[in-house]
Amino acid sequence: MVVAAVMLSVLATLAWLLWLARDVEARIGSARRVGAVALLLLPVWLGLVVFYAPIEASQGVLQKIFYVHIPAIIPTYFGFTLAAIGGVGFLATRDERWDQLAVSGAEVGVVFCSLMLLVGPIWAKPAWGHWWVWDLRLTTTLMLWFIYVAYLFLRSFAFGSDTARTFAAIYGIAGIAAIPFVYFAVDLAQGSTMHPSNPSREGLPSEMGQTVGAGMVAFIWVFAWLVARRLELAALQARTLSPRVEGV
Amino acid sequence: MDDRIGWVLAAYAITALVLVGYALQLRLARHATLRDERRRS
Repeated sequence: MVVAAVMLSVLATLAWLLWLARDVEARIGSARRVGAVALLLLPVWLGLVVFYAPIEASQGVLQKIFYVHIPAIIPTYFGFTLAAIGGVGFLATRDERWDQLAVSGAEVGVVFCSLMLLVGPIWAKPAWGHWWVWDLRLTTTLMLWFIYVAYLFLRSFAFGSDTARTFAAIYGIAGIAAIPFVYFAVDLAQGSTMHPSNPSREGLPSEMGQTVGAGMVAFIWVFAWLVARRLELAALQARTLSPRVEGV
Repeated sequence: MDDRIGWVLAAYAITALVLVGYALQLRLARHATLRDERRRS
């Protein structure tokens, strides 16, 4: 049920974003409805965190941080996958709209990855006694963040250049190769990691699993709304700034 | 009351700051781009 809701949200928002990217300036009005769905889902998720999810026996209230930290990974992976989808679309068609989808996905993905990297240490300090440890999961996640921050730097330094778009498309496609390393890091470390294993392996009690799932669904819709707004900005900037850049 | 509630509140406050801050930054960038477009036309 939870997995189905998450999958359905990913597929619905992906289909909508692909449709939106084809003519964002004419279709951006639909983002208002997606934003409304996100605004409805956020208080539901927060209500479940506060009133429904039980206090975990060993960690106490501190475990409630998981309900932000775990859901943030889905929009992170989603955003970086959009960067790859946009990259493939751009290389196949040379259509700038695919490039705009790629940069929007990567940027919002970095926002959620940053959120995860900020919130994780807030849990780790009281739980482990350290803000950060260099175990495989944390290190690969930080590397993933650096890969896409570098992608955004590349984009910002070479705005409007077709060569930069081509290079960024290839970089964005290659970048998702890092995702399996992050996802399977705890398994690859074979027990030598401090980071808890993936929730699907841990078998969370149903109330906790449902609350994590509600967070994932809410974050997916927030993500889709943010990507839509970023797409709109990218289309506006392409219209207004490109002639000046090309004229330099 | 668990004395670690402050850590939890900090995590949720940072989440709100990051998401609202980014959305606000997008809105400001949009306004700036539109203003730039009007000035140029």
